[in-house]
Amino acid sequence: MRPTPTSAWTYFSTAARYALLEHSRNRLALVLVLFYLPLWISLGHVVITSAEVRFLLRATDETITAPGNNLSNISGALNAVTLIVGFMMFSVTFTAGRFDHRLAMAGYPRPQLIAGKLVALLLAAVLTSAYATAVVCLYWHPRQPWLLGLALVTGALTYGGFGVMLGATLRGELAGMLLIIMTSIIDTGLQSPIANPVADNDFIRYLPSYGAMQAAVTAGFRDSFPFPYLLLGPLWFLGAVVVAGIAFHRHTRDRRPAFFG
Amino acid sequence: MSDARLVLEVHDVHKAYGRHRVLRGVDMELRAGRLAGVVGENGSGKSTLLRILAGRLRPDRGVVKGPGRIGYCPQETVLNPAFTVEQHLELFRVAYGLPGLDRAHELLETLHFADYRRHRIGALSGGTQQKLNLVLALMHDPPLLLLDEPYQGFDWEAYQRFWELAGQLREAGRSCLVVTHIAYDTSRFDDLWRLDAGRLVDDARRDG
Repeated sequence: MRPTPTSAWTYFSTAARYALLEHSRNRLALVLVLFYLPLWISLGHVVITSAEVRFLLRATDETITAPGNNLSNISGALNAVTLIVGFMMFSVTFTAGRFDHRLAMAGYPRPQLIAGKLVALLLAAVLTSAYATAVVCLYWHPRQPWLLGLALVTGALTYGGFGVMLGATLRGELAGMLLIIMTSIIDTGLQSPIANPVADNDFIRYLPSYGAMQAAVTAGFRDSFPFPYLLLGPLWFLGAVVVAGIAFHRHTRDRRPAFFG
Repeated sequence: MSDARLVLEVHDVHKAYGRHRVLRGVDMELRAGRLAGVVGENGSGKSTLLRILAGRLRPDRGVVKGPGRIGYCPQETVLNPAFTVEQHLELFRVAYGLPGLDRAHELLETLHFADYRRHRIGALSGGTQQKLNLVLALMHDPPLLLLDEPYQGFDWEAYQRFWELAGQLREAGRSCLVVTHIAYDTSRFDDLWRLDAGRLVDDARRDG
C-alpha cells in the first residue's frame, strides 16, 4: 500500500484528538481536578483566618491589605491547578514517551504531533483554571474573575510545560513527580501571603509562578490589567517546551542517513 | 543464492557500550523475498544489531544500505495503554500516510485477533499485545521487515500463524529479518546467521 499525501491539518487534528483521549483516560487526574481542587480552596477559606494580611503587589507597585483567607484562596487555587496540570502532562508524556518515539519514527511529523499535545495541554489548563475560578467565586467575589482565570491558566501552562519537559527527559516516574511537587512547594511557599506576607525579596520574581501569582492577586483586589505579568508564565512554558522538543528530536532521530553508504 | 535484488547490505558494523564491544565487524546481505534469521544467546548483541539496522542506534563504524521504508518490530511491546487496538491502527495509518486500514485488518484476521479491535491495551494478554506490536510494524507493507523476537509470548497457534504470515510476505517479495534466541525451527529460514563474539557466522545447517 503506497503512502498518500496527508494534510498538515489531518496530522495535527488527529494528534490533538488522541492527546485529549489520553488525558480523558487519566482517572487520577480527573479525580484530583474534581475533588482535590475544591477541597484545597474550601479548606483554605474555612481554616485560614480572615484577618487582614499585607501583600507586596509589584504588578501595581503597592502593598495591599486583604483578608487572609481570600488571599490564601488565590495561592491555593494556583497551587492546585499548577500541580494538577503539571502531573497530567508529566504522566501522559512519561507513559507515552516510547510510543510517541515509535510514531515519529513511523513517519508522524513531529511538529504536528507536539502541537496536538500542546493543544490538549492548553485545553486542560483552561478547563482546570475555569473550574478553580468558579470554586473561588463561591466564597467571595474577586474584582476581575476573568483575569483570575487567565492568571491561573498562565501558571498551569508553566507547570504543564515542566511536566512535558520532565516527562521527556527523565527516566524515573517517581523522580518526575517529586521534582514537580518540590518545585511547586518552593514556588508557592515563598510567595504565599500567609507564610511570607510581604515577600519583598527580589528573588521572588524569578519563581516560575511569580507572574501568575501577581496577576491573580491583582485580579482579586484591584482593577488594573497586569499584561507583562501574564506573559511570564507563557515564557517559562516556552522554555520548558523547547527543552522537551530538543529531547524528543534527539530520541526520534533516524540515525540511518548518518552512516548509509 | 537467488538473483533477487539486494534489499539490505551491512558491512563492517561495529558497536561498543563503553569498553564492552558488542558488534565487532558485522557483514550481511539480504535479498528480496528472503526470510532470514539471526540467532544468538541472550546478550550477544542481536537487538543492538537490529536497532542499528532500523536507524534507532548509530554504529561506531560501518555501512548499512537499505530501503527508505522499513517495518521495525521492537522486542518489547511499544503501545499506548490509553488506546484501543483500532485506535492504534488509526494513529499509525495517519503516521504511515495510508489511505485505509484494509491491510491492517487483514493482518488482524491472519493473526486471529480481529475480535479485540475495540479492546484497550490493558485488557489484552501479553501475546495479543505482541500481535498488535507486530501488526504496527507490518501494516504499511514495507519491503524490509526487521523483527526482534516477534513471537515472544505467542501460544502455539499464534506461533504457527506467524510463520504462515512470514510465508505470505516472502511470496509477496518482502524480506524479513527475524532476530531470536530460540534456535529451534531454524529450518524455516532461507538464510540463517549466528551472532557469535560480535560477528555473524553463516549457519552451516543451511548448506547441509
